[in-house]
Amino acid sequence: MARPGFVLEVDERTPPLLIHQGEGFRLEKFPLGSRVIYPPDALSKIRDVRGAIRRALADPHGSEPLAELLKPGMKLTIAIDDISLPLPPMQAPDVRQLVLEEVIELAARNGVEDIKLYMANSLHRRMTGPEIKHAVGERVYRSFYPKDLKNHDAEDPDNLLFVGTTDKGEEVELNKRAAESDLLVYVNINLVALDGGHKSVGTGLASYRSVRHHHNVHTLLHSNSYMDPRAGHSAIHDSLRRMGKVIADAGIRVFTIETTLNNDTFPEQFGFMNKREWEWSTKEQATYLAARKLNDMGPSPAKHQVWMRIRSPHGVTGVNAGSTDAVHERTLAKLHEQQLVEVDGQSDVLVIGVPYLGPYNVNSIMNPILVHCMGPGYIFNMYRNKPVVRPGGVMIMFHPVPWEFHQVHHPSYVDFFEEVLAETTDPSTIESKFEEQYATDPWYIHLYRKSYAYHGVHPFYMWYWGAHALDYLGDVIVVGGNRKACERMGYRAATTFRDALEMASDTVGRSPSIAYFHMPPFMVADVR
Amino acid sequence: MAAKRSLTDELRDVAEGWRWGRRPIMPRSAEGVTAPAERWSFPTDWARTSAGRVARDAILVGAMKPIVWNETAPQVFGLDHLDHLRAPVMFISNHSSHLDATLILTTLPLKWRDKTATAAAKDYFFDVWWRSAFTALVYGGFPIERGGGERATAKAKELIRDGWNLVVFPEGTRSTDGWVQRFRHGTARLALEMQMPVVPIAIVGAYAAMPKGRSWPKRGRPPIRVRYGEALIPREGESHQDLSLRMQRAIAELFDEDRTSWWEARRRAANGETPKITGPAGPTWLRVWEGSRPIRRHGHRPTWR
Repeated sequence: MARPGFVLEVDERTPPLLIHQGEGFRLEKFPLGSRVIYPPDALSKIRDVRGAIRRALADPHGSEPLAELLKPGMKLTIAIDDISLPLPPMQAPDVRQLVLEEVIELAARNGVEDIKLYMANSLHRRMTGPEIKHAVGERVYRSFYPKDLKNHDAEDPDNLLFVGTTDKGEEVELNKRAAESDLLVYVNINLVALDGGHKSVGTGLASYRSVRHHHNVHTLLHSNSYMDPRAGHSAIHDSLRRMGKVIADAGIRVFTIETTLNNDTFPEQFGFMNKREWEWSTKEQATYLAARKLNDMGPSPAKHQVWMRIRSPHGVTGVNAGSTDAVHERTLAKLHEQQLVEVDGQSDVLVIGVPYLGPYNVNSIMNPILVHCMGPGYIFNMYRNKPVVRPGGVMIMFHPVPWEFHQVHHPSYVDFFEEVLAETTDPSTIESKFEEQYATDPWYIHLYRKSYAYHGVHPFYMWYWGAHALDYLGDVIVVGGNRKACERMGYRAATTFRDALEMASDTVGRSPSIAYFHMPPFMVADVR
Repeated sequence: MAAKRSLTDELRDVAEGWRWGRRPIMPRSAEGVTAPAERWSFPTDWARTSAGRVARDAILVGAMKPIVWNETAPQVFGLDHLDHLRAPVMFISNHSSHLDATLILTTLPLKWRDKTATAAAKDYFFDVWWRSAFTALVYGGFPIERGGGERATAKAKELIRDGWNLVVFPEGTRSTDGWVQRFRHGTARLALEMQMPVVPIAIVGAYAAMPKGRSWPKRGRPPIRVRYGEALIPREGESHQDLSLRMQRAIAELFDEDRTSWWEARRRAANGETPKITGPAGPTWLRVWEGSRPIRRHGHRPTWR
């Protein structure tokens, strides 16, 4: 059994603690009495993943076996989670490849000929050929790409179908081929509780017309929390559940295959990042020193390349297939087993290190808006019940926040940063004043469809993800952050951690309680 | 931008944070949730090679003995008990000071010392490389896990089969109050299993000279007496509990002999009246007080008064 997560209380015996800081990391001494939240150790991985997949397909939850659903002459569409998952990308073979090979093998054996595969990238950028190949494997890639294996296009009017409206007036518009198929198989990687379930189809294969109903300020402000998809706990999941019902009522048959991964995040060379500091061996201490100095000395582009080439040794911990709700319930149980850490009470200050990678900068650059999405957006919201930090508390995050954008992947981000944030940082104002303009801009739509750009509206969603934190927190201080970039986003920049604590004292006093959320790997604080 | 840190600063942080050269410790709240350390043992076989033994003897005789003999005033009795024995044997002693192993090894005749290894607690003596190397070289030390079990004694058995004598402290750790603690049964089990003679040794005065917590003997050349007793031979069908009891009794008799005389001690032993060496009942301070009472000097009388 894997060792559960726990909360360390810093004492004089505690070594300095590792903290991620974009494409870098450091050791930081924490004040005595600070609490450090550590994730559980990696669950043991399934040795025979292919066997587990076969068993899941043959004995699904709430559905007939997949083989019985596959018939000659049928239209089969397979949707696959896109490049935003997992983080970092998996060492080959990716679990999606293994699942796809089993599904397609079954389809071939059962005489299915009309198969289309879609990367369910929603409003994310299109994946390149090599990226798709890494996710689906060479055999699937060679057999289907590019004719029958494509990126979903949320702006292709010829391949979108209006499915219906929920009782709350939310429109559901999906990939037409998927909606008109006899069977839609969704192949998912469930990295965090925010993902999966009805979000897979309801977002991954949807259009802006549909996504805007749950990716908006009101919904995200009322999602307490993103990591608690139970009915009534998260407005975004409630919305997606309603959409899921519309999809089911429209007769769209979805066979969901969800997979869960363990916490084994970094490869052996970076093994010290997976371990609790006082358990570092001499070798790991030396590796830290060497990696840190090389990282500091290396030229930025080379450093970036090294980070982007990290492939995680994630092990598969669960494969479940069948009807969406039944499958997702089991997926969540496995996720919680891997990620939940009980935390007793809230703190005045939450400290986080924003790592080099988030869902939207794989093979790309983490620009300031993505830092906002990762920090106040995602990491702040990695809780159940209530946030780790108290209302009006301070979040201190470590990141250089470079004023840097990927011109191909994030063109609308540049304009959002220069034009929208220069005027206001208030999510509601931004939404009402600017969103539609960006979402319908023909140039952004063209770049999204033909180039490799995120949709024009995507930076808005990134900003909205942080809306809850901005509303809740008293201050956000960034250690080592670019001052101008931080100022533009309404943060305050500090040079050192001590300076940050000094600055925080304006809000939380001189003796605040401090909690350091020691991530990655991913975890969810269950705050009591 | 965050201030850049030099390699020296980083090195210092890591060296301080992970207590380079000192025993690693973990945060208090992490005790009980920390994964067991890897079962790696510091290699010690090199210290028992011919070259290692020559080096060991040079250090023991050339450095350790002069230091200990200069700072304390040891006397040794009963070495004649070894005359009729053949290696391997097990030397057991009460344990109240870091001086104990040095006192035994430096008082043993060369032919015995040359083939004697010391069982040393893995978690203490083999925690950092320099202490491990020192223990292996100077004491012929090999790591033994205090938890007991088959793994703990595997190395000891291997050495005995190779003809090595062992120095073992059956209490498992140094006494905190100078009195003898409960003997752990592992020593008796090992002696029974390997059918080897056990030579009891009483070290009197080492606690008063350098108790736990001190790294150098007290001033004034405190007297210490090392008394070797007659070897105990494991009996046919004897249980480890019985042998352990005989071992404790043998050491208690040596203490009694030190306090009075060999004759008186023998008589009391015959009547089952040997005083206990587990100390007086009562508060801790009283035990420490009594245990640390300096022992009387005797032996060489001054030539004139």
